[in-house]
Amino acid sequence: MPEFTPEYTQEEGEDRLFQLAELLGLEFAVDDLAALARQLHLLDILEDDKLQDVPPILKMDADWHD
Amino acid sequence: MTDSPALVNLSISEAADALRRGDTTSVALTQSTLARIDQTEPTLQAYATVPASRALAAAEQADRELAAGRDRGPLHGIPIGVKNNCYTKGILTEVGSKVFAGHMPDYDATVVEKLYAAGAVIIGKTRCQEFSCGGSEPPTRTPWDLERFPGGSSIGSGVALAARSAFGAIGTDTGGSIRIPASINSLVGMKATYGRVSAYGVVPLAWSLDHVGPLTRRVRDNALMLGAIAGHDPGDANSARVDVPDFTAGIEGGVGGLRIGIERDYFLYPGVTDEVRAATEAVMRQLADLGAAIISLSMPELALAQEILTTIRMVESASYHRRLIREKGHLYNPGTRATLEIGQTILATQYVAALRARERFRAAVRALFQRENLAALVSPTIPVPAPLLRDVRRPRPDMANGETPTDGFVHHVYPANLSGQPAISAPAGFTSDGLPIGYQLMGRPFDEATLYRISYAYERTQDWHERQPPLLYD
Repeated sequence: MPEFTPEYTQEEGEDRLFQLAELLGLEFAVDDLAALARQLHLLDILEDDKLQDVPPILKMDADWHD
Repeated sequence: MTDSPALVNLSISEAADALRRGDTTSVALTQSTLARIDQTEPTLQAYATVPASRALAAAEQADRELAAGRDRGPLHGIPIGVKNNCYTKGILTEVGSKVFAGHMPDYDATVVEKLYAAGAVIIGKTRCQEFSCGGSEPPTRTPWDLERFPGGSSIGSGVALAARSAFGAIGTDTGGSIRIPASINSLVGMKATYGRVSAYGVVPLAWSLDHVGPLTRRVRDNALMLGAIAGHDPGDANSARVDVPDFTAGIEGGVGGLRIGIERDYFLYPGVTDEVRAATEAVMRQLADLGAAIISLSMPELALAQEILTTIRMVESASYHRRLIREKGHLYNPGTRATLEIGQTILATQYVAALRARERFRAAVRALFQRENLAALVSPTIPVPAPLLRDVRRPRPDMANGETPTDGFVHHVYPANLSGQPAISAPAGFTSDGLPIGYQLMGRPFDEATLYRISYAYERTQDWHERQPPLLYD
């Protein structure tokens, strides 16, 4: 499997997904995997650029105006 | 006594009043609803299961209790439909899938328990897309136009209300599945704050995005239903320890002084048709006339909602279905299976990135509400009226980017699933072809009451809720 880094290209991301799907024995439409690759690529760019020091917690608060 | 066809047109509030005046009985309401089901089901197929004798027995019990002075509240004796992904003890719960064929739960979902405790009559299990994910379409049709998409994934809940074969219905909403059928069927649908309504006993689609909520024909009815089903539940780890107010208490308070935001770049993007845009603008003008301040604002983070939510949904769905697919994969509709399985290809680090991105998104929404002192954000619920069934997954000819109606359905509704804040869809009028249009309000966490207050103020200025689907009632 190609190594995952935030600097990978979208095409490399698509290749990784296709290889991973094959390894897992899963069959998907080419368009579906390409769409997923675009989605993950955008997220990876976002993570690299905007998500430093943001933890993954979901807690609803009632205090938006406090 | 009120006659049968008129009974099914009553709102929950009106039926509850009639029960207490002695003008009708729960048995009469239930018999009228069952008669309407018999009349409409061959065409509409809103229900997967209708336990008629059980419903009539519950109605008799409700009448006996009321006669004895035991009043369980506004849902007492009222026929309610429940989406077929909610466990119902002794009533088939097949989640629209052959994987759950014949599944008879031995316990009730908390939302069903609460309906029983409120005295409601469970009239039937409403159809949903397989595992609520849209990989397959049930044969359900909307009485607004049999050739058009009836809404999803709480399809049967929306259609049953439009057909007057239920007074209220339970839906679930992971990415708009209460609000979309509400918009398409000219109904009120509330996705309350994440954790406000227990999801215990509801077959999950994505745990951290799933919401359970009410669909009704009127705003006040919706507030009454939410009051009956909300509340902390130790059976649901994500259930919120927050008091449940009387959601109708301030409903007549008007909108004077409330600040309501509109993010035009995202919510009125080019995919919104002219008629939907005009209806949304008309809602805003009406709210302004009633005293609200309509604030134009900007929140570029909205454009990220779809990618973040879809990643989370894919992984959580793949996790829940992994064992089931291994054991019963051949029973899934192939389209559903692919939708549920593709999340296995997403890395754990990418899932965590999506969770972190959700926090950033939520912080941006919160900052916007605080900075602008907002009571709500307003938008269309979906960008288009119900498309023809054959066009649902075809690129729209008016969209150069190849957007399909299905793509567009999630545009306005995903942000509130991602942030967890409450969101309501209510009728905004009709197209020139007579198709319903809905508008959406997103509010502050656990402040559903303000959304009811705004939508009730608007509802009082219109008669959209009086209009009935033409195909069955002409």
